[in-house]
Amino acid sequence: MVIVKRKELSFWERLYLPEVVRGLSVTMRAIFRRKITRQYPEEPLATNEVTRGQPRLAVNEDDTIRCVSCGLCEIACPAYAITIDGQETDRFIEREPERFDIDMLRCILCGFCEEACPKDAIFMSEELELADFSREALVYDIEKLKRPISALQRRSDYVYKLNDRWHSSSSTS
Amino acid sequence: MTITRTFEYAPGAPPDDFEYEDDPVHGEVMQLNMGPQHPATHGVLRLLVELDGEIIRRTEPDVGYLHRGKEKSCESLGWAKFFPHTDRLDYVQPLMNNIGYALALEKLAGIDVPERGQVVRVLLMEISRIAAHLIYLGTTGIDLGAVTMFFNTFKEREKIYSILDAYTGHRMNNTYVRIGGVYADVDEGVEALLREFLVQFPEQIDEFESLLTSNRIWYDRNRDVGVLTADEAMAWSLTGPNLRGSGVDHDLRKAEPYSGYETYDFEVPVGTIGDCYDRYLVRVEEMRQSTRIALQALTRLAETRGGEVLAEDRRYVLPPRDRVQSSMEELIFQFKIVTDLRLPAGRAYHGIESSKGELGFFVASDGSSKPLRCHIRAPGLMNVQAIPLLAEGRLFSDMVAIIGSLDFVMGEVDR
Repeated sequence: MVIVKRKELSFWERLYLPEVVRGLSVTMRAIFRRKITRQYPEEPLATNEVTRGQPRLAVNEDDTIRCVSCGLCEIACPAYAITIDGQETDRFIEREPERFDIDMLRCILCGFCEEACPKDAIFMSEELELADFSREALVYDIEKLKRPISALQRRSDYVYKLNDRWHSSSSTS
Repeated sequence: MTITRTFEYAPGAPPDDFEYEDDPVHGEVMQLNMGPQHPATHGVLRLLVELDGEIIRRTEPDVGYLHRGKEKSCESLGWAKFFPHTDRLDYVQPLMNNIGYALALEKLAGIDVPERGQVVRVLLMEISRIAAHLIYLGTTGIDLGAVTMFFNTFKEREKIYSILDAYTGHRMNNTYVRIGGVYADVDEGVEALLREFLVQFPEQIDEFESLLTSNRIWYDRNRDVGVLTADEAMAWSLTGPNLRGSGVDHDLRKAEPYSGYETYDFEVPVGTIGDCYDRYLVRVEEMRQSTRIALQALTRLAETRGGEVLAEDRRYVLPPRDRVQSSMEELIFQFKIVTDLRLPAGRAYHGIESSKGELGFFVASDGSSKPLRCHIRAPGLMNVQAIPLLAEGRLFSDMVAIIGSLDFVMGEVDR
């Protein structure tokens, strides 16, 4: 425990005028300091693999979508932003989404969908800006969400690195 | 709207040095609404103030304008999906709320967090505390006329947010704590940024203090304003800096240590009188102590490098990502944890020392995937309750100082 020291003002401090001068000197010094504000739209903030931007669906090199519409992201989403309808496909993975909507107005960019996905199909991209003229336009459908895996590879590698845990022990319980 | 009526003073209420007989508006009570959109109420707090001239006779805080039903949301969302909602309780310290909730769940489930996970948590909590106290300094400063403080403290807070951005990928609403630890390890780049910030930060506190502590306006507007005695503070369940400002040495980090706080070397600052000035001094000193703890945590982080930050427990914690791809067993765990995370039946309460006071989460489970009840003991609500007590008999302009010094965030009060 430490008792905080209450200070009594000295005569000069109580006089206030010298303090005004001192305060102004602080202001003057601040003028010559390096500016820390950024002109945002002109000077965009740097993004990297850590940035959790809007979720996007990964598309393989051969233009096939990775998602198998298992619905885990839909269940994991705390904002109920994802809607999936699945359908069968002739591809090896057997199922693919017929409809995959993310309501970007509901999405809170928490990254739970990315964490839940067992097929590396959804990743948080570096795309952050979101603006449109209608609510309907911000419900992104599958075509708007598709991104080639090359655009998401950096994030994918990062997520694998993060989850690279428990080397010593094997599967338990 | 002015209501005229005969007014009877509460016994013992009038300040001794005020001559009511000379007051031309004596006996005429004006009801004044302060808020819910008043900038000095720090959110959407409405205060119904009864004024006699400029003297506050009675105050009635009206809360609930930001009520979003967080506790009920928890019951319908389930255990893990509530984490992003805890961010939005006290939105100036999201990670602290995450950790408070996670600790309650861990107590209920009986999970041990790995040592490095605890060190990261302590680090995040202290950084959040500094960020929250900086908001207090900045907003109270601007309310009381010290506009410079707002810019200076927000400049410092910006540094913290940049570091959190580099660590979690978000500036606010981080959601980086999970049951059993934290989502990601603090890497060396973030560690270096944190060290750089923490080393220069005490110098910045000195500058804040040079602008405020012996500033006559700040001094006169805070000293002996809103005096809260130790007994009153305890009777109104106040915790945190508001309680300690009144001279009660109670800090959950010392009284009921969690996350290994008992192994850190720090002091609990305590005030003497319990006025706004004491609460300000306590918070400034707390920032210094937080810096101390965070630096110790950084040293431990270097010592425990390579350790795990998340407990290995297939009932509550998602399996590693590469194994989900290769092992059927792990894939089943992935599905089970995401779709149906169950916590054992029982009740648990865990309180942490947040920047505002004791932030407690009470969770009750019937063994299913949804909580039976989740109660949040928000320190801000108790802080709001103290306003009528502190404001009574004071000038109306003191109200701003009192609101500022009690330091609550409406997101948490109304939840």
